[in-house]
Amino acid sequence: MKKSLILSGASALFLMSMFNLSGCSSVQPWEKQNLAKPEMTFEGDRLDTSYTEHIYSSKEGASGGSGVGGGGCGCN
Amino acid sequence: MAMVSTTKTTVFSALIASAALLLPSAKSAYADAAPEQAIVGMKYLNYHDSQSGDTAQTAGMSRDRINVNALSFMGMVPIAGKWSIAATFIEDSITGASPAYHSSGFPSAAANHDASSGASGELRHAGDLTVTRYFSRGTLSLGTSYSQESDYISRGVSLNGTLSTEDKNTTLSLGTAYNSDTISLDKPAVVSSKQQSAPGRKKVFSGLVGVTRVLSKNDIVQLNFTYTHGHGYYSDPYKDPDVRPDHRNMYTVMTRWNHHFEGPDGTARLSYRYYSDTFGVRAHTFDAEYVQPLSKGWELTPMVRFHSQSAADFYVPVGPAELADPSTPTPPPPGAAFFSEDQRLSAFGAFSYGMKVSKDLGRSWLVDVKYEHYQQRYNWCINGHGDPGVANFNIRDIQLGISRKF
Repeated sequence: MKKSLILSGASALFLMSMFNLSGCSSVQPWEKQNLAKPEMTFEGDRLDTSYTEHIYSSKEGASGGSGVGGGGCGCN
Repeated sequence: MAMVSTTKTTVFSALIASAALLLPSAKSAYADAAPEQAIVGMKYLNYHDSQSGDTAQTAGMSRDRINVNALSFMGMVPIAGKWSIAATFIEDSITGASPAYHSSGFPSAAANHDASSGASGELRHAGDLTVTRYFSRGTLSLGTSYSQESDYISRGVSLNGTLSTEDKNTTLSLGTAYNSDTISLDKPAVVSSKQQSAPGRKKVFSGLVGVTRVLSKNDIVQLNFTYTHGHGYYSDPYKDPDVRPDHRNMYTVMTRWNHHFEGPDGTARLSYRYYSDTFGVRAHTFDAEYVQPLSKGWELTPMVRFHSQSAADFYVPVGPAELADPSTPTPPPPGAAFFSEDQRLSAFGAFSYGMKVSKDLGRSWLVDVKYEHYQQRYNWCINGHGDPGVANFNIRDIQLGISRKF
């Protein structure tokens, strides 16, 4: 219970700080050509990611982090 | 009190590690836009894992374990500029076996014949479908998934949404998912102490909150928090001795940073994840890859990954008797309610490296090949004490893919 409260509080603080990060200027739409490249997104190759994350989560004690959803398996 | 101090220190360290990736001073998100093209793709996986007895304690334990051949398909279609539908389908074919305890206790050759002993079924089919609605400053996605093998069925639904600021430099993500699993416990290979006609059931709820932020014209970062609550059947039907708690809560903090280098036109993709659960497992995972486009449509992506985890609270290490004679597992501590000798719940470090090569063939065709090598070792753990009685674990996998946009 204490662990979850500490983690939740730290999470909220960090999220708020992300929103408050402000610089002198923000990136304008005409400056975003590099950001539009596929390698600059966080999705990646859907099938590659699916295989890779499935392998790691079925052979390690940890899983998840980048998204929720998707099925489980009895992988051994 | 000591436990709270340890937790505070660990959380603080995780946040510092995340902050380190956010250091390039923020100047100012990247919102999903409705896709303009449909895409179909196919990918084949050839996977092989093994264990190697490289030390005095594990000498003689080297052997092959599991082989997997898998074929998956995906398709995504945009509709009317405001919707998209995406689906994937996969078939896995699995042969081989995993140990019943630590790195020993493999089923006999006869039991291995049906390829399900120590492995969950011979064939697995899975699919998922996601429908996404695109708004001017956000998205809403509804997903469903289904996975079936001879002894395990998993069904899931999920709802994910994003909301961006007007300049689209900051995006908030929220997601929730529910999974319901059914585990058959009447298969011949299930250990006798767990055999029963009624199946085991597991229900898992998870939630995500995240922020994606454009920092510069060449930098984008993401910070995600997830919480998962599960209750039901968590023990492994094919492992003995193995009795696990009937609930498992998991937390993750993940930071990702993509940086584009204008000179070489390459992109570094870095991520760090901290994981913690009520089994007692704590893990740190670092991922790094570099995407380098070359001439004539070629692209190289080398990658490295390091993962370190502590052991579950109820993990039982290899004892002296089992070291001398691996044919008998180490007895759990007297009176222990929960215990497991599953290598995956031990403390270890894992290092992997790989390379992906892709080629744009023109006319919207893309082919790719990826190779990865992975190894777990007890003495590579940086946040716990590994079990020297467990053999090193190795993975080698190759992926071959092809896709086309319309």
